[in-house]
Amino acid sequence: MKAVNSLVEDIYYDDDIVKKFILATLVFAGVALAAGVMVALQLAFWPMNLNSEWLSFGRLRPLHTNAAIFAFAGNAIFAGIYHSSQRLLKARLFSDFLSRVHFWGWQAIIVAAAITLPLGYSHGKEYAELEWPIDIAITLIWVVFAVNFFGTLAKRREKHMYVALWFYIATIITVALLHVINSAEIPVSAFKSYPVYAGIQDAMVQWWYGHNAVAFFLTTPFLGLMYYYLPKAANRPVYSYRLSIIHFWALVFIYIWAGPHHLLYTSLPEWAQTLGMVFSIMLWAPSWGGMINGLLTLRGAWHLLRTDPIIKFFATAVTFYGMATFEGPLLSIKSVSSVGHYTDWIVGHVHGGTLGWNGFMIFGMLYYLVPRLWKTELYSVKLATAHFWTGFLGTIAYYLSMVVAGITQGLMWQAMTPDGRLMYPDFIETVTRILPLYWVRAFGGILYLAGFLLMVYNLYRTIKGAPVSVPEKVRVVNTRDVTAVETGHRGLEGAVTVFSVLTFLAVLVGSVIEIYPTLALHKYLPPSAQVEPYTPLELAGRDLYIREGCYLCHSQQIRPLASEVLRYGSPSTAEESMYDHPFQWGSKRTGPDLARVGKKYPDLWHYRHMLNPRVVTPQSIMPNYIWLATNDTDFLVLRKKFSVLKNMGTPYSDDQVANADIHAEKQAKEIAKSLEAQGGPSGLERKEIVAMIAYLQALGQKAKETPK
Amino acid sequence: MSEDQDTPTTDHDYDGIREFDNPLPTWWLVTFFATIIFAFHYWIHYEFGGGMDQKAELSQDMAQIQQLQHNHPASLDTEEDLQKLAGSAEIISRGHDLFGAKCAVCHGPELQGVIGPNLTDEYWIHGQGRLTDIALIIRSGVPDKGMPNWESQLQNEEIRALTVFVASRKGSHPVNPKAPQGEKIAN
Ligand code: HEC
Ligand code: HEC
Repeated sequence: MKAVNSLVEDIYYDDDIVKKFILATLVFAGVALAAGVMVALQLAFWPMNLNSEWLSFGRLRPLHTNAAIFAFAGNAIFAGIYHSSQRLLKARLFSDFLSRVHFWGWQAIIVAAAITLPLGYSHGKEYAELEWPIDIAITLIWVVFAVNFFGTLAKRREKHMYVALWFYIATIITVALLHVINSAEIPVSAFKSYPVYAGIQDAMVQWWYGHNAVAFFLTTPFLGLMYYYLPKAANRPVYSYRLSIIHFWALVFIYIWAGPHHLLYTSLPEWAQTLGMVFSIMLWAPSWGGMINGLLTLRGAWHLLRTDPIIKFFATAVTFYGMATFEGPLLSIKSVSSVGHYTDWIVGHVHGGTLGWNGFMIFGMLYYLVPRLWKTELYSVKLATAHFWTGFLGTIAYYLSMVVAGITQGLMWQAMTPDGRLMYPDFIETVTRILPLYWVRAFGGILYLAGFLLMVYNLYRTIKGAPVSVPEKVRVVNTRDVTAVETGHRGLEGAVTVFSVLTFLAVLVGSVIEIYPTLALHKYLPPSAQVEPYTPLELAGRDLYIREGCYLCHSQQIRPLASEVLRYGSPSTAEESMYDHPFQWGSKRTGPDLARVGKKYPDLWHYRHMLNPRVVTPQSIMPNYIWLATNDTDFLVLRKKFSVLKNMGTPYSDDQVANADIHAEKQAKEIAKSLEAQGGPSGLERKEIVAMIAYLQALGQKAKETPK
Repeated sequence: MSEDQDTPTTDHDYDGIREFDNPLPTWWLVTFFATIIFAFHYWIHYEFGGGMDQKAELSQDMAQIQQLQHNHPASLDTEEDLQKLAGSAEIISRGHDLFGAKCAVCHGPELQGVIGPNLTDEYWIHGQGRLTDIALIIRSGVPDKGMPNWESQLQNEEIRALTVFVASRKGSHPVNPKAPQGEKIAN
């Protein structure tokens, strides 16, 4: 290629913003990992819930996941994208001001999340728990990021976009789409809202979002980072340009369809489940395309694996990526899903990806970036190597313990005696069996955290020993205006707008085909379906269920599998959740399914169980919810809640809306009376526990005819 | 490096990163096409080719299970069978443990009655207080009245142990007994 008007310029990159994002990454990685260790300990040893409203498992777990994804990975992605894009485009970032708005805005969002989640302000949708004001802030900051990024693309001095940038583009476009669609919600008050979708719709949208958050927040940006930092660190050319093209487009087009593999054997229409499964299988090769391109780029540099911790981290990360993207399609096969779903196998699978792939990519990138940005040497290569091994052992301990725990429990749930009965009918037996593995997992997490602390110390010493840094001039050659006639993909790489539109279309196809039909919910309900919506008190209880994060340990979705029918009753139907804003099907059964728990036990049983589950099930690992017996229910807000739900189509009469609080108080009195009559304490009618009991007793009781 | 000489290369250079243009590995392409072919077949089989849907599969499985259960009724224990167990201290102690874990929350640790009735007195709501009566009520429960159905949650052995344990506490006169419920059964 020959540049006709080649232009030499001296420019400055904005490395200050990269440093800021790196420091934020280090701070929030600490928070995310510490919260992870805490929730792991809570599952191994329930007293770690500390009887605290703010620190119980159901509230800390969203804090852990949100901190890990959006704070730790998020800040690292921004650091890497801003650093590598400037160099790949030979241009300073579009706007220093927008960069700072992006940085401080994002940190403010994280702090808001860290405060509101323990307080119980939650949507009840996994990985999208943050309430509506924060959702709006995320949208705004994401737009700032997009403008800043595309603005930089516009003023680039390089004609073509390198493959890393393709992945960044896909990330920015798709995350915006996912977030906006999944967060569509109607506010009730400053920190409470209901999603506009209900039941199977909400499930479909949520897992389209949830799965593709993994795809476009934890995969595509990291592939982009891999394509920049791995060849840089190894000083080797990328293995195959052709492979980059094929696996990029295949990945972006296919990934978006795979969401329903989180909903196999649920009441989601079967055609959508089947689509989710077959697209997951087709996703295997495109994912491995990225792994191959990464690993084969290291050809000729394998000797570095022994000496260079950065290469150790990168090579291992790419290998974990390969493992996780093989395991994913495997888990999407219906028969495998029937064993693995709701178990710790999924938790292991996720952490193979997050600890092994995302974490190790980030660590490698930080060891690469910090000495270069601060213009010094790494303080200690030995410590970095020690970090690698502790982190590696931690990840292996985590992964193996969870896979074994998951498969063990999954098989125990299904095991039958020769006379056609459940082998382990008592749920708690399947929990105590895997408890030792919960300890191993917590130990793995502690190792991983310890390794991370070694890195913090190492980087701290590195930065402390660095000279005062002054921005450095960089000489670049403008090669944007070349005259060569280009066809095919090479032409596309010079046309940002066309490239971005095509990427958008690629993710749009699968999204529309899967989501659009479920918006017409009624097509999927039998015409005879008659379901009563929740009473106001039950709704109040449901909102407590969401606030406490019960859905993180309990499912409400009985699968059409014989062993589930024997254990929990007839399979859940689409109509049973048709008024559920949001759906609460759950994705993990640390405790038993609750879809039909209504009327199974007397009110007093629930009262005692909620305050201390050990009274009823001595080996239970469920937290105590003592504050439910002392906090008062907010009856008045129920009118507003009912009117919002009515506007969204729940068939409430005007009287039910106008007098929601009165109806609720009446029902609360009845339940309080029954508690007292059964031997419980008196004076509970205004307490939250009564609302919770009302909700639990309503589960599975709302369809006119319980399906057979 | 010698291998570089035979690999096709591009003239791309981005911040010093160069790109080869190696062909796609054959095994990779084969895998990709194989998954696509599988996906089409699977889709057509289940959507149009009459593949069994989940409901149909479930009813088939349930029919089989019902057949099994029918062939092996939950318990054919007679009063005499249970009577034989009633002397075993080991079985009674097993029943005691189970009762503490599963039943005490409603019947009280001393069986004195809390939510559920006192099980030590001479009054029975269901049956005549015989071993088979007790076993039956534990098995099937009275879900409408708050006594769970234990058949789906406990093994046969466990229900036997609970039965003989409950019977062994008859007339134990715990403190604070719940007021009698049901009919007085003279024996
Ligand atoms: C850390 C995980 C965990 C959390 C969080 C949790 N549970 Fe549980 N839950 C369990 C386990 C384990 C069991 C089984 C042992 C038992 O009965 O306590 C259980 C049992 C139950 C049962 C009895 C189900 C049955 O069929 O016997 C109910 C009802 C219940 N939980 C309600 C709740 C509610 C409501 C919340 C939220 C306020 C909640 N749980 C939060 C783990 C959890
Ligand atoms: C959730 C509360 C609860 C639990 C747990 C419970 N029961 Fe009951 N039980 C009851 C109630 C309520 C009744 C009364 C039913 C009625 O009124 O018909 C009852 C009745 C009985 C009866 C019949 C009493 C009579 O007078 O006819 C027996 C026997 C019995 N239970 C044994 C057990 C055993 C053994 C267990 C443990 C495996 C157990 N129960 C667990 C609530 C419970």
